[in-house]
Amino acid sequence: MKSSTKFVAFTGILAALAVVLSLLENLLPPVPGMPPGARLGLSNIVSMYTAGCVGFLPAMAVALAKGLFAFLTRGITAGLMSTAGGLFSTLIVWLLLRKLRFGLLGASAAGALAHNAAQLAVACLLTSSAVLYYAPVLVLLGTASGILTGLALGVLLPPLEKLQGR
Amino acid sequence: MSSRFPLFRKRDLLVFVLAAVLAGAGFLSWMPQNGAPTAVIEQNGEEVRRITLSSITQPETLVLEGEISVTILLEPGQVSILHSDCPDQICVHTGALTRPGQSAVCLPARVAVRIVGEISSGIDGMTG
Repeated sequence: MKSSTKFVAFTGILAALAVVLSLLENLLPPVPGMPPGARLGLSNIVSMYTAGCVGFLPAMAVALAKGLFAFLTRGITAGLMSTAGGLFSTLIVWLLLRKLRFGLLGASAAGALAHNAAQLAVACLLTSSAVLYYAPVLVLLGTASGILTGLALGVLLPPLEKLQGR
Repeated sequence: MSSRFPLFRKRDLLVFVLAAVLAGAGFLSWMPQNGAPTAVIEQNGEEVRRITLSSITQPETLVLEGEISVTILLEPGQVSILHSDCPDQICVHTGALTRPGQSAVCLPARVAVRIVGEISSGIDGMTG
């Protein structure tokens, strides 16, 4: 991407896409028996693409946009949890994809786990260590959702890279 | 698949092994704890009330005032969050807690109720 204007606009589009995906996901009814906070993480497809193919700072900007949106629509607790989870998982995904050369599945699962870990840490600080009770389930669900979003990105990447190359 | 980022590399297994170890360790910690089930009620990270479930004889409600108020129902042998002003009502839907290790948390109200297994200091048991 040559001009910086184009670059900023592209980051903005990605942030909007991530926000819309998390909004859509929130509209889905919660699955009975699932612990609170268990989500598919559709918007993480966008976060991962940004971290892998666009750059570190744009990816952090997308995470901040998601956090701000959660803060505006679902309150300060959700905003803090989303921001912490988004920033930490973006950092992990960027490290694994760009620096440590992991595959999409590994990076995606690690990102989902990092997201859950940061959210639990914030929940723990805000309430009590009782929330750690959810940790084992979140680890399993996080790994599963990470594999799914990793697969989705694997399918989407080749056409996206063609687009970006123009 | 993309040439730049392969879907899977062998080192990805590291992540999955780590996840399996974490989940395994977590589930082990769920093993039932010994001792009398005791409700610990916390608001803003501070303990408000601690009561042994078997010592409750009359149903009692406990109202935790705050930006978001929460009503907790203490009954013989169980405790539940009866009402919360929060939007998601996850804590209310958690239902009654009876066994050590269970918990109901209202994140927006920063209220947590959990059951711990407490070994009481009285003469409740003996060694043979």
